[in-house]
Amino acid sequence: MRTRTCLLGLAFVSPALALLFAFFLMPVVLTTVFAFTNMSTSTGITGGSHVITGNLLRDLGNAGVDDDIVAALSEGSFSVTPETLAAAAEAGVEPRFLGEIESSLMGQSFEDARSFESALKALPSRPTRIRDIKLATEPFERSILNTRYSSRAAMETAIASMVPDAPVDTVSAIAEASYTGWRWIDGGNFQTLLDRPETIRIVLNTVFYVAATLAFNVFVGLFLAITTFYLPKTGAGFFSVLWLLPRITPVVLYAVMWKWFTWDNGFLYVIAEQLGLPAFNYMKGSVPTAWATIILVNGFVGASFGMILFSGALRAIPVQQLWASEVDGASRWQQIRRIILPQLRWPILFVTSYQTLSLLSSYEQIWLTTNGGPGSTTTVWALEAFNTALNNYTGNLEYGMGAAMALILVAVGLILSILYLRMFRFDELVNKPRIEF
Amino acid sequence: MISLKTTKLLATTAMLLSGTMLAAQAEDYTITVWAGGTGDTSNYRYDNIVLAADILEREAAIRGEELNITVETQAWSGWDDFKQAVTLAAEAGNAPNIIISGHEDIGPWSQSGLLRPVEDYVDFDAWPLNAIYPNLYEISSYDGVVWGIPQDAESRPFYYSRANLKAIGWTDADIEALPGKVASGEYTLYNMIDDAKKMQDAGVVEAGKGFLPRPSNGPDYWQFYISFGGEMVDAETGKLVLDKQAMTDMFQFFVDAADAGVVPATHLGSTWDAFHEAVANDQAGFWHAGTWTVSEWKTKWGVEDFFGQMQYSLIPAGNENGKANTISHPLVYLLSNAGTDEDAAIAAELITIASEPRFNALHAVKSGKVALSDAQASIPLFANDRWAGIATTELLPHATAIPNDVEFGPYWTAMYKNLEASWTGTISVEDAVNALEAEVTSALGDQIIVR
Repeated sequence: MRTRTCLLGLAFVSPALALLFAFFLMPVVLTTVFAFTNMSTSTGITGGSHVITGNLLRDLGNAGVDDDIVAALSEGSFSVTPETLAAAAEAGVEPRFLGEIESSLMGQSFEDARSFESALKALPSRPTRIRDIKLATEPFERSILNTRYSSRAAMETAIASMVPDAPVDTVSAIAEASYTGWRWIDGGNFQTLLDRPETIRIVLNTVFYVAATLAFNVFVGLFLAITTFYLPKTGAGFFSVLWLLPRITPVVLYAVMWKWFTWDNGFLYVIAEQLGLPAFNYMKGSVPTAWATIILVNGFVGASFGMILFSGALRAIPVQQLWASEVDGASRWQQIRRIILPQLRWPILFVTSYQTLSLLSSYEQIWLTTNGGPGSTTTVWALEAFNTALNNYTGNLEYGMGAAMALILVAVGLILSILYLRMFRFDELVNKPRIEF
Repeated sequence: MISLKTTKLLATTAMLLSGTMLAAQAEDYTITVWAGGTGDTSNYRYDNIVLAADILEREAAIRGEELNITVETQAWSGWDDFKQAVTLAAEAGNAPNIIISGHEDIGPWSQSGLLRPVEDYVDFDAWPLNAIYPNLYEISSYDGVVWGIPQDAESRPFYYSRANLKAIGWTDADIEALPGKVASGEYTLYNMIDDAKKMQDAGVVEAGKGFLPRPSNGPDYWQFYISFGGEMVDAETGKLVLDKQAMTDMFQFFVDAADAGVVPATHLGSTWDAFHEAVANDQAGFWHAGTWTVSEWKTKWGVEDFFGQMQYSLIPAGNENGKANTISHPLVYLLSNAGTDEDAAIAAELITIASEPRFNALHAVKSGKVALSDAQASIPLFANDRWAGIATTELLPHATAIPNDVEFGPYWTAMYKNLEASWTGTISVEDAVNALEAEVTSALGDQIIVR
């Protein structure tokens, strides 16, 4: 019976477990893996191949690889020999064309593709399409330069075919250096972050952003909940819905509305101009106004969250306590201070901890409004991680570095969660109530 | 912003072939084309591929083959979203067949295997590719391989408001002589700051609008590095170069401009609309922008007489170490690794036809770009366009290009980040340059030479 219950329970939670695995655990695991690599646009994500390029040969020469080996690897030629003709026949080059190549070019060698192609183009049975001519040249080529090999073994074989006398370890080292994909770099990304002077700036920005927005969320949420609590029910409902607008408006639309509000010739600009106050693009025109905009944009979204939770908690306070206090002559402030706030302790703690974590990882509103500017003065950690990994002007997406930054965010989030749980004695919060109402 | 269009060219070919009843089997291809940094005036960047598909189909029909090509085009107005889309689509195996992007993407994209070398698919000895200026192929090559076909090129001049220069006492003759003084190094960026300040002090332009640099990241900022004597690539070794003195002077120039009040310390990150509105309405003194923006000012911002309203020149030298210059940032047609080899061969034929001088002229004149070949310059549409001619003959010869090095992206990102940081006053110029040096040397190692 017990086993069946267990299995049934497991069946019920399995969809949740599957989702947890797919949308939380897997991303965290992948982020962790990426964080220890140099994965970027140029290395690709899915793995690379082995290719020897001119630049690589230059670097190998500088690194002390024997000049003769470098020279041999950089050689390329096209030769018409019985062997290459056989290879061309096997590759499917049209027989008549091949016959003409044999009769007119046998024994000849060409230094580059262009001169060989010119010779082929002069033959009467040449293919009409240039691509077909290029394909026909391939079997005659003797070069490994710029050829992509899918495995290291294939690369080593190719190198050995060009420089048969090269020492095995040199061949192996060249093959290793020719890899175009990503590599494990241990803690390289974290070390780079530690070394970068801007890291500390972004950390300070993030701390300021989270602290200021959080304070706004909690205080405004609390203020709204308490004021609407004392309002007549219909009026209170109306105000609550009004404050929910920032949360229910799609984020892009919400950001556009803030732009209308704060940009050049926007609402605030026009008002300020009329009043003779400094009128400029408040969202991007100065550092203090940019910060104020971001904090308000996020603050209004968060305040409604706090308001809903606090309002619910307020309704759970036995109204008799308030009546009794009024009989004793308590003022509104005394009611708030002595009755309401102490009983809102858990919701306040919950909102604080939940919002800290959500603000730490939020960047959408900042991205859509100041985009971290002016300069990078309002860039926070999550936005920097996003820009590094996925979105920047030069198109150099550094997945590895971005993942390292995201991993730090995950670690900070986990540590804070544990701290909050211990500090706020979460176990007491979820205990059964000692008094039944 | 993305615009998606699908152009079906099936009807024409079907009609052409209906009478012939060919036994040959019809060949159907869908070729996708994605273009980055493509605004309203740059539609021929992808429309030329559509026109090329029509011609290729007609050529096939004349040979007695039925070829049906569906061209699907997408254009992005910005670069961030575009490059992200291309990179991630390629990782997912959905890259477009033809990518139209900046030549600097060739480095990283070729290393990651995203691209096919275009030289394996086209004939550079045949028309029209043999007509394109050889130096443009150097820009579209990387590591000894030609990866792309130049799609367009431009230059990025400095502009002056004639009305505002006159308001501080300049004569018409002075204004006409200005481009020459800039080219010879007589008129420098610091002279420009002084004149911008004069305009502001005289109330001709508002404070902070004397000098309007580009409000966002772009190759343009490398021009100022060159103005102070910087080099991006070491000619001997081919490695990237960070010239600390030139970088310091360049960062310092923008800080000095902000300190003089001719540009706000918070200018970077402001909006393009505000920029265009100010320069098109003589609300700014000096600014710089690509040659193509002249088309935008005319079509979108109400500039009727460009030559009567604005003067242009190279970007002035910053000090005696540097020189007046401009940067050209050619866009290139690239072939992705998507699809079959046959798809790539068709895509390459489309690119080749789209490089006909007449097609390139459509794009160049509509979007204010330069000619890619003498043949293009002689097409009447192009030859009769004064601005396109000036951009080609007066400005382009002084143009440099940013390098195609695979590591240039990280260097560029770090340069701009530290320029922003010093410009906004978050850190000192010295710290910004040191931070840049620390960042590039830790990321690029001996791939960059620090002077």
